[in-house]
Amino acid sequence: MQYEPTLSRDELIDIATIKYFGNVDAKNIDAAMECFNDEAMLCVQTEFTRHAGKTAIRRMLEDFTAAYATIVHKDFTCTVDETNGRVTASFEAVLTGHDGDVTRLYNTNFWRFREGKFQEVYVYFSGSNVLV
Amino acid sequence: MSSWTEAGAEQVALPYPYYIDIVTKRYFDGVDNKNMEQVLGCFTEDAILTEVTSNTVHTGRAAVGTMFARLFSDFAEIWHGNFVHTADPQSNSVCSQFTVLITPNGSTELRYENCNRFYLKGDKFHRVYVYMSGDNLLKEGAA
Repeated sequence: MQYEPTLSRDELIDIATIKYFGNVDAKNIDAAMECFNDEAMLCVQTEFTRHAGKTAIRRMLEDFTAAYATIVHKDFTCTVDETNGRVTASFEAVLTGHDGDVTRLYNTNFWRFREGKFQEVYVYFSGSNVLV
Repeated sequence: MSSWTEAGAEQVALPYPYYIDIVTKRYFDGVDNKNMEQVLGCFTEDAILTEVTSNTVHTGRAAVGTMFARLFSDFAEIWHGNFVHTADPQSNSVCSQFTVLITPNGSTELRYENCNRFYLKGDKFHRVYVYMSGDNLLKEGAA
């Protein structure tokens, strides 16, 4: 699906890396959910796991943030298609469990924007899917 | 070019269609038609292709060629399509989502929903990262 592009390069990067992942890392779910349209879809493509609609995405994020003591997404490399309202980022996710165990993932997210918010998000994992 | 980094600030932008065309009309067209010369012509001599989901690394164009020779030999039919691209001349990179239909010799068709990240040096792929939705077909001994 192609959506009308409305955001600049800097705005696309800011929403994906700061407003979304920054708030996920801070476990500020209300602010992270502001990045999504009501009927958005988040799909973990490497596991064929799909979360459709804001309610389902919020439930997934609440479970994800509760499952780890700390969550850090960092070292973003962004590819930005301003003409088509899309941004892709590779990054490292450092997930520290409540028992101190550390999981490191090297993932890639694809975001497609509609009216300034996430409409479709596709996640590709280097390891096991933690967004269940 | 000596300070090249993936999507680094020193990149020279190519026209937007170049990124779509090298991925679809040259690279994957070459893969689907088992045209090794066309495929390897998309890579720099010291390119590295990494299959991230299993951390399989192919270093150098010759190693990439060895990987594709095995893929071409092991699979009767290969098709890549349903592309959605994130193409970025400013960072000289393109990331692509797509469907793969692939048929192992003597077996039935498999379907994958994969993505690749391509970082160019000049006008060729210098670093490529592959994520696969199923078992990794791009490693030694696969299929």
